[in-house]
Amino acid sequence: MLRKRLVALLMVSILMLTLVVGCGQKAENKPDAEGAKDTGKEKVEISLWLTPQWKGVFEANEEGADYDSFFKYAAKRFSEEYEDYDVTVDVQVIAGDQRDELLNVNLNGGTPPDIFYESVFAMGDYAHRGALVPLNDIVDDTAKKDIAQNFWDVVTFGDDIYFYPFSHMPGTLVYNADMFRAAGLDEYIGGENEIKTWSLEEFEKILNTLKTKLPKDKYTNAYPMALFALNNQGDTWNLAYLRMFGNKFFDEDGNIILNDEKGVKAVKWLKKIYDAGLTNPGAESVSSNDCNAMFQNQQLAISFTNSVLFNNLKADMESGKVAKFDARLANIPSESGEPLTFTYVTGSCVFNTNDETRMKVSKDFVKFFSSDPELVKASKNGVPVRTSVAEEFKSEKPLFEAYDKNSKYLFNFTGNVPGYSELRQVLYPELQALYTGEKTPEQVVKDYQTKGNEVIQNAKKNSVIYNK
Amino acid sequence: MKKKIKRETVDIVANIIVTFFAILNLFPLYWLFTSSLKNSADVVKMPPDWIPKSPTFSNYVDVFQNQPALRWAFNSIVVSLVATIGVIIVSSLAAYAFSKLEFKGKDIIFLVFISSLMIPKEVMIVPLYRIIQNFNMANKLSGMIWPNVATAFGVFMLKGFFDTIHDSLREAAIIDGASEFQIFYKIMLPVVKPGIGALFILNFVQVWNDYLWQLVVGQEKSAKTLMVGIATLMQDLNPNFAYKMAGATVAAIPMLLIFIFFQQYFTRGITIGSVKE
Repeated sequence: MLRKRLVALLMVSILMLTLVVGCGQKAENKPDAEGAKDTGKEKVEISLWLTPQWKGVFEANEEGADYDSFFKYAAKRFSEEYEDYDVTVDVQVIAGDQRDELLNVNLNGGTPPDIFYESVFAMGDYAHRGALVPLNDIVDDTAKKDIAQNFWDVVTFGDDIYFYPFSHMPGTLVYNADMFRAAGLDEYIGGENEIKTWSLEEFEKILNTLKTKLPKDKYTNAYPMALFALNNQGDTWNLAYLRMFGNKFFDEDGNIILNDEKGVKAVKWLKKIYDAGLTNPGAESVSSNDCNAMFQNQQLAISFTNSVLFNNLKADMESGKVAKFDARLANIPSESGEPLTFTYVTGSCVFNTNDETRMKVSKDFVKFFSSDPELVKASKNGVPVRTSVAEEFKSEKPLFEAYDKNSKYLFNFTGNVPGYSELRQVLYPELQALYTGEKTPEQVVKDYQTKGNEVIQNAKKNSVIYNK
Repeated sequence: MKKKIKRETVDIVANIIVTFFAILNLFPLYWLFTSSLKNSADVVKMPPDWIPKSPTFSNYVDVFQNQPALRWAFNSIVVSLVATIGVIIVSSLAAYAFSKLEFKGKDIIFLVFISSLMIPKEVMIVPLYRIIQNFNMANKLSGMIWPNVATAFGVFMLKGFFDTIHDSLREAAIIDGASEFQIFYKIMLPVVKPGIGALFILNFVQVWNDYLWQLVVGQEKSAKTLMVGIATLMQDLNPNFAYKMAGATVAAIPMLLIFIFFQQYFTRGITIGSVKE
């Protein structure tokens, strides 16, 4: 009896405690808010969200380095130097796959963040929806001169700039030079800090040689090239392959124009190399993540990469997490001989919160950390969009020069069209149908164009940029 | 003698089959834990390493270093525990009323309750979030707890258990002079204990995994729960499978403990509730 009562008493105590703790629990006095102090100026609090990009202010080996370190440091400096208001910046890191859910709920709830730091391609739809404010007034001539026009094109929607570019992440191919050597392909190996360009004929020869000459005892279950269509992950590379035969993909009005001879040729080429066993099998059920892992395990000789993935691979090799091999970069080839390359531009946008003061302060803060000579050096963690920063670090990061040379081949893979996020859901089912043989290449391009343009047309109706 | 040998053979075969399926069921847990001790590339290696070649706890260190992981775990436990206790209190009272009391419109009200099971939570996220904002509960654990306290599922499940108790028990208690609350608390509640145990486990797991709502309400770093907090450490274009495994292993521990402690109620609960006299 006594035991029962003791248990009951314990349960009630736990219940009371958890109720008190649970219901009274408030986030600890904004530990992430930076810059708050009594200065006699009017207080303004703004929020900045970011997805994980780089750790530390400038280097990942700094003490306590985290994904928000840079923005907390920038906020502290801004608060000290800003004359108009006493500013506090609340910095929050959110996962990439949480982005749209959180933004949509907060936009509907009337509480969007003031600033979002993210890849432009993931945020373009918010510009079309009218959720962002133009940043033309904070972009000066100095910035325009220091940042190449290609990057300004990516962040311009209609006539206005909606993102202040900070760094970028070029997408290329990556190849295992050791596997090339083992297959007798030494002549096609580029320099360690070079982005090698092959012609389409050379590329096909490489794939065929890898298939036939790669020693099976050393590289078991290995395939020449990565091909994936499970979902929309890494779809930018698939979009690049569709341009290999000269198709421009979007017309000037932002409509898909894949359904022509060049588009069909590109899809036929993909099907041809897939059927010939020049890629991993089962592309319809393989994701880009799977391919990335297969490349790390030396089961693929050529795969996709971007500057961050490539740096991580090198770092993992150094730390022993991945077995060492000679990984080098190459461009996506094309029929014309001119390679294809693209980049994910990362930068900041300011949300329309209907609060003029907060929007002004937010813009000033974005301009501050995107142009301050000390702070912009942090962009070396990606590839700097500023020529001045790229120049400064080119001896430390030799690939910066190669990326810079490559930038003349950049294409804007989103076309800045409205509904791009939804458009991404249309491509991979068509590619799956191609690889399983459910559809012919002609049907694939026709259906993709029809469905894709439907998405774009619907999104255009709600686009503030198209309906100005 | 022959019959005995035959029975023993059947027992041995049955035990082998049961053991095989038990191991099969445990395999995902084994895979989760051992993968958390591998490098990211090794997690998806083909053919796989069934036993990690060079096990390392560095994934745990990398995931939790510089992060308030203990705080996130504490938040998860508080949210799941308080919401579940709340569900049990509210659901048992409501289920008792629907099962044993007579009042006007009982069937229609119950139907409305049950109908709400068909509305996916995602549909209610935005209006629910606005309500939470208006009550100043955003970024508070109470904002994650209260919307989970009243669930039609709990009422539906426990009503089934109350329905199995014969009405004569209640009538006898009334004759003995017991009040309605005494009947509920002292007579009926102990009888449906297995059902409450089962509901505890099911609801605890549901709230623990209520990723979307906890993500929306707990936007500040210190207000995040374990599942949401771990997700923020993942780079979009650089998913580290081993980190995910390490995070998921830590997140699975409280649920395993809850199941171990309440499993006797759970197994009894799911069998008793299914039989109606």
